[in-house]
Amino acid sequence: MTTKSITLPVGGMTCASCVGHVEKALRELLGVRQVSVNLAAGKAAVEYEPEHVGLAQMERAVADLGYEVGHEQVTLVVRGMTCASCVAHVEKALLGLEGVTKATVNLATNSARVEYLPGTVGVSAMKRALHDIGYEAEERADGQTALDREREARQQEFRRQRRNMLIVWPLSLLIMAGTFRDMSILANFVPEFLGNKLVLGLLTTPIVFGPGRQFFVNSLRGLVRGVTDMNLLYATGIGAAYFIAVLNTLWPQAGFGGPRATFFESAALLTSFIILGRYLEALTRGRTSEAIRKLMSLQPKTALVLRNGAEIEIAADEVGTGELVLVRPGERVPVDGVVSEGYSAVDESMITGESLPVEKKTGDTVTGGTMNKTGAFRFQATKVGKDTALAQIIKLVEDAQGSKAPIQKLADWVAGHFILGVHLLAVAVFVFWFFVGYQRFFTPESYFLLTPGTLGEIGVFGFSLLLSVTVLIVSCPCAVGLATPAAMMAGTGKAAEHGILFKGADAVESAAKLQAIVFDKTGTLTRGQPSLTDVVATGEALEEEVLRLAAVAEKNSEHPLGEAIVRGATERGLVVVDADRFQSIPGHGVEARVKDKDVLLGNRKLMRERGVDFTALLGQAEAWEEAGKTVMFVAVAGSPAGLIAVADTIKENSRQAVAQLRRLGLEVLMITGDNQRTALAIAKQAGIERVLAEVLPEDKASEVKKLQARGLRVAMVGDGINDAPALAQANVGIAIGSGTDVAKETGHVILMKEDLRDVVAAIEVAKATMRKVKQNLFWAFIYNTLGIPIGAGLLYPFFGWVVSPELAGAMMAVSSLTVTLNTQLMRRFVPRLYRGGGDGSAQPRTSSPALAPGRVIAGGSE
Amino acid sequence: MENGKGNVGRGSAVIYTTISLLAALAFWATAATLGGFPPVAVYGGAAWVFLLTLIVSMPLVIAAVKRRNNV
Repeated sequence: MTTKSITLPVGGMTCASCVGHVEKALRELLGVRQVSVNLAAGKAAVEYEPEHVGLAQMERAVADLGYEVGHEQVTLVVRGMTCASCVAHVEKALLGLEGVTKATVNLATNSARVEYLPGTVGVSAMKRALHDIGYEAEERADGQTALDREREARQQEFRRQRRNMLIVWPLSLLIMAGTFRDMSILANFVPEFLGNKLVLGLLTTPIVFGPGRQFFVNSLRGLVRGVTDMNLLYATGIGAAYFIAVLNTLWPQAGFGGPRATFFESAALLTSFIILGRYLEALTRGRTSEAIRKLMSLQPKTALVLRNGAEIEIAADEVGTGELVLVRPGERVPVDGVVSEGYSAVDESMITGESLPVEKKTGDTVTGGTMNKTGAFRFQATKVGKDTALAQIIKLVEDAQGSKAPIQKLADWVAGHFILGVHLLAVAVFVFWFFVGYQRFFTPESYFLLTPGTLGEIGVFGFSLLLSVTVLIVSCPCAVGLATPAAMMAGTGKAAEHGILFKGADAVESAAKLQAIVFDKTGTLTRGQPSLTDVVATGEALEEEVLRLAAVAEKNSEHPLGEAIVRGATERGLVVVDADRFQSIPGHGVEARVKDKDVLLGNRKLMRERGVDFTALLGQAEAWEEAGKTVMFVAVAGSPAGLIAVADTIKENSRQAVAQLRRLGLEVLMITGDNQRTALAIAKQAGIERVLAEVLPEDKASEVKKLQARGLRVAMVGDGINDAPALAQANVGIAIGSGTDVAKETGHVILMKEDLRDVVAAIEVAKATMRKVKQNLFWAFIYNTLGIPIGAGLLYPFFGWVVSPELAGAMMAVSSLTVTLNTQLMRRFVPRLYRGGGDGSAQPRTSSPALAPGRVIAGGSE
Repeated sequence: MENGKGNVGRGSAVIYTTISLLAALAFWATAATLGGFPPVAVYGGAAWVFLLTLIVSMPLVIAAVKRRNNV
């Protein structure tokens, strides 16, 4: 059964219980396999079976709850339409695309206005669909990109909350001045009429029914659908406070404190603090998707291509594969490709995190979104549209930010089930104080915390109702829904700045808990470019002949060791012809037929199995191995012919990275197919004490499993393609040196650079992110934990303390503020090994092999 | 389908309104029995209990009725 994935923008969610409701509604649809809703991003990631459920059904399920699925709009200029039937054809072609929800074609203006679900279909697909039926289309200039729409939606929400703030707070301050006029020096400045209850009522009413109206409307909409959320808590609390205030004004003998008491400031300030909380949440959501916005802003809108001999500027998404693209100094590369002419230095830091400009010459790859610095060049486009590295990275970061860590699922579940429990608690508090508490404990001298004046003449109903309302407000887990996703988005965004891509929030959580880390040797700890160092022949054979035969045998091998031998032979002027026959024996070596000679090249295991006795040369082999070299045994016609030694050097920062990992408390191991002696020598250079040597490629995953069986949480660092099974087996698989081809990398974390310090940085960012998550959850919950017992009047019998509804609202706003500010602190985080600057060198370096197309598939002893 | 949804809505409304009224009635009866409470407190309290019980029972009843009717 085929499955598809889509990320739907969902508007109108305000809290963790909204998240729960949307997830439940989507999950209940037949054909939906998995749903993950991110409150901070305002998106629902859905995995579904297209045969059973469609986008329209998902949209309806979300709309039925009172939320909306965001649509994008684009206007196309369509050429070639001549009559009404053309209109019908064009509309049909557009509506036939999955994700297009509306298409309105206008013959008079030659335009088609299309509404579609973002992430399902793009403008280029629409153009292609129209081209297939004989019409040409272009996007009209006023069309907006996904980035623009997303930014607009966030800004609209932010502007709305800011407008509400500008209405409620000046009025609330006036109300406070009027309420407390008689209790302080304010009597000297505040006019007497402002203390009049009717005036206070006139000032409060626009607050409650203006900006406060959203809570009543949203909660009612939810309630009739059987959905409860935090809007309900707010509406109940604000409504009750306002009701008490109005009742006490019109009927002072009702038992709400008498003629001198007023509760309008409760309703006003409560509304104001809740709107402050909403404002802060809108601010947080706007800032935390900065990483995505930064990446998306790297996508150039236009490209200069060579067509029919002429240079023309076209939209970047119209560049086709194979087209010749021109890039001038100071311009961004529009798509991925291979340089065909010219020379320049390109700044790739925004995408890979690589701090130095990289030289680009003919044959080198270039990546869309990078900045061309000095020269001009032409390149042939190889990947366009959603296949470019930048598009893949954006998708990866977006998917990671849309995913949910296990800790967040728990927080959302608690928050989602909290609302009904809170209302039950409010009933219980009311009934207790009404029938028992008031008679037993109430004294007129008691007062609201941080509020001047005593409770005075308040009656049993007024007192019990106030405590019940306070419990509703103080119990609200407003910041809980935002605590984890805000921290995760900040953390994954921070990691992406350094070329570290987490594939999901669970990868972040797992990376923070690691206890052991296993490094593959060749290409991970070492540069992966071994070079020939020594040759020795035995018997009558000459060294050049041994080397030549070995090179011929390895000519068709893609193994780095084989390539080193061929390179070494060529450099020494030897002619390396093709072998008549070649066979690779994974984990052992190669076998070839050269002219009339059978040549065997490989490790001890191979020689033992084939009965070739190398006793005479073992001493030399061991001496080379102890120096950290890899020794290959050469046998010709079943007899030992000689030895060849190849050496790979460890990467510049290997030792530093290993030392830092130890300081983080991790057990560090190295795994390799190489023999024990060589492996130990390399491990010693890197500062690693534990080595798993002579491991066949297919056994690496089993070794990881053995470590896990000891109860360890294990990370595996290696080549994302060749070490795929081991990376998949590990708790966290870290694929290093992927360059920009991130899509085909296995592993939970992808490192775009070859630098091992990024492994350390990835773990440090993960730990910092989880620390931030826990801090945010602490601040989100602490106000509830302390506030509920006090709000319910638990301390009242002992200290006479009660919390007013507006103080409860202030506490909730402070919890949202704390989460917001705490999350913003992640922006300052810098991984330890990168503090104080990067590599230091000002010279551009040549293109890294990590960014070259294609990979060496390891065979032989690795 | 629309008739089904309408039945769920009406059926649920009857159930949760009844539950809420019963809770309010229980409150009123307790207050009346114990005595000594001003009328505004008794009726106001009953109204508050009605409202909160309505809020608690509405989503539970709607979900239960939906499940029973498989809507």
